[in-house]
Amino acid sequence: MAMSMRRALLPLYRIQCHSLKNAEASLDVRFPLPFVVPVRTKKRFFVPPSTKIKAKMTASQDQEANTRAAGFVIRQEYMERSINIACTAGVFDPYIPPEGDARLSSLSREGLKQRTQQIKQGAASQLAIRKIKEHDPEFTAKSFAVKAQEIFVEAHDSLTQFNKEKLHSLVTERCYPEMVRGNRYKTLRWRFVESLEPPKVVHARCPDMVTKGNLYGQVTVRMHSRQTLAIYDRFGRLMMGSEEEPRDVLEYLVLERHLINPYGMWRLHGKIVPAWAPAKEPVVKTIMIPGPELKPGEEFEELNYEVPKPKAVQWHK
Amino acid sequence: MATSVMSRGGQITYCTYYFTCYSCRLFAFHKPQQHFIHTSVSLDVNKNWDRKNLQVFPPQQPGEAQRPAEVHHCRRQIKYSKDKMWYLAKMIRGMTIDEALTQLQFNDKKGAKIMKEVILEAQEMAVRNHNVEYKSNLYVAESFSNKGKYLKRIRYHGRGMCGVMDKVHCHYFVKLVEGPPPKVEQKTGFDQAKEYVEQLKSRTIIHSL
Repeated sequence: MAMSMRRALLPLYRIQCHSLKNAEASLDVRFPLPFVVPVRTKKRFFVPPSTKIKAKMTASQDQEANTRAAGFVIRQEYMERSINIACTAGVFDPYIPPEGDARLSSLSREGLKQRTQQIKQGAASQLAIRKIKEHDPEFTAKSFAVKAQEIFVEAHDSLTQFNKEKLHSLVTERCYPEMVRGNRYKTLRWRFVESLEPPKVVHARCPDMVTKGNLYGQVTVRMHSRQTLAIYDRFGRLMMGSEEEPRDVLEYLVLERHLINPYGMWRLHGKIVPAWAPAKEPVVKTIMIPGPELKPGEEFEELNYEVPKPKAVQWHK
Repeated sequence: MATSVMSRGGQITYCTYYFTCYSCRLFAFHKPQQHFIHTSVSLDVNKNWDRKNLQVFPPQQPGEAQRPAEVHHCRRQIKYSKDKMWYLAKMIRGMTIDEALTQLQFNDKKGAKIMKEVILEAQEMAVRNHNVEYKSNLYVAESFSNKGKYLKRIRYHGRGMCGVMDKVHCHYFVKLVEGPPPKVEQKTGFDQAKEYVEQLKSRTIIHSL
């Protein structure tokens, strides 16, 4: 061990010899002074003999196995972040509005028939309403319809004002981005003029999410009302609608509440747009529609080309 | 926004879902994590130009003239000299967007290609986000370049002398406005001469009888 140490430190001794004077050099060539290792470079961290930290820091199962063999137990570190889900992801078993709803006047025979059909909801809806009444004893179809309209009006008012906190309390997390998307740098002017028919509860369902007891109540309310809407873009130019002209609007609103939660609120969850709904009014500006894909050599024939229209499907927003 | 939000009544969390991820911190046994972080310019850059796109104007009355749409766009830390970029920026000032794009397309400079990309991006943004009706109905209202953050290197001179070599970067800013470009009055030499003569003729002696 001493010889190996000596051999390792020979170059250092040689440098020392160069610096020493000649007289001393002749004496100390063979028996140089012991070399002092400065304390600063002393290793202070402990490395267990089985692990090789000097090796590259690449994932290798042998390293893990070695450490486990050496007795080093690594405690699992969980990076957890809890998420609270307070609403469902969509509308379960959506209500299919009867065709010709609000097209016929209420005085004709067909109109009355439709109305009676509406009032006699399906069996599943009755069951769902009963379930809701278990958790919320003050729930009645008539009072709820009125409350639903109030929630709707308040939600849209806070959307025009863009009051985030109030909007979150009136509208579920699923509905919020749909209401708000694209509107951040636009000015909305909305006014609820009057209600043409009293709102009615039309459909109810009580789905449970993931676990069995986790009940959510979804109630569909039919609303026929008059509203004005005007959307102005970033520069104050009218994009869509008009402020003076009110329009008759027939809407099917879906409201949701987390029934198990005693502090749950009935909030707007979405809208159902029937398949027979009239097309939306076009935007004021002209928009380019992408044309058909042409092979090289083909030419675009304007007369034969028809702009493709989307299928009339019921969707819920 | 599925995180818990304090509403009027307060919401108790009944459903919590945990996402676990095994990680060991004592010894780095896992591969060096690929952090897909977007590397960009440091944080002390002035972001005022981008913020101009977020300014919302109040709705106009029906009698007022329509306010033209404006789009502000920029690119930061372009590897080009600000002085060389200035020539191109000066060239396209006041041109319609199509004219500017064609000029840049057939220009041999390196900055021309980058400027063309920036203007195309701005056009796309204008049509999609800022309610611009016709993408050709835009003109370049403002276009300028300025100095970005330079990297410093050593430049070796003769006789063991050194200097600082700057690796130059620049920022480029452009503002597109909707509508036809404003006509710049071209003053001919004759007009200028006429004005000068009129100036001379209108000289008087003040406070004289």
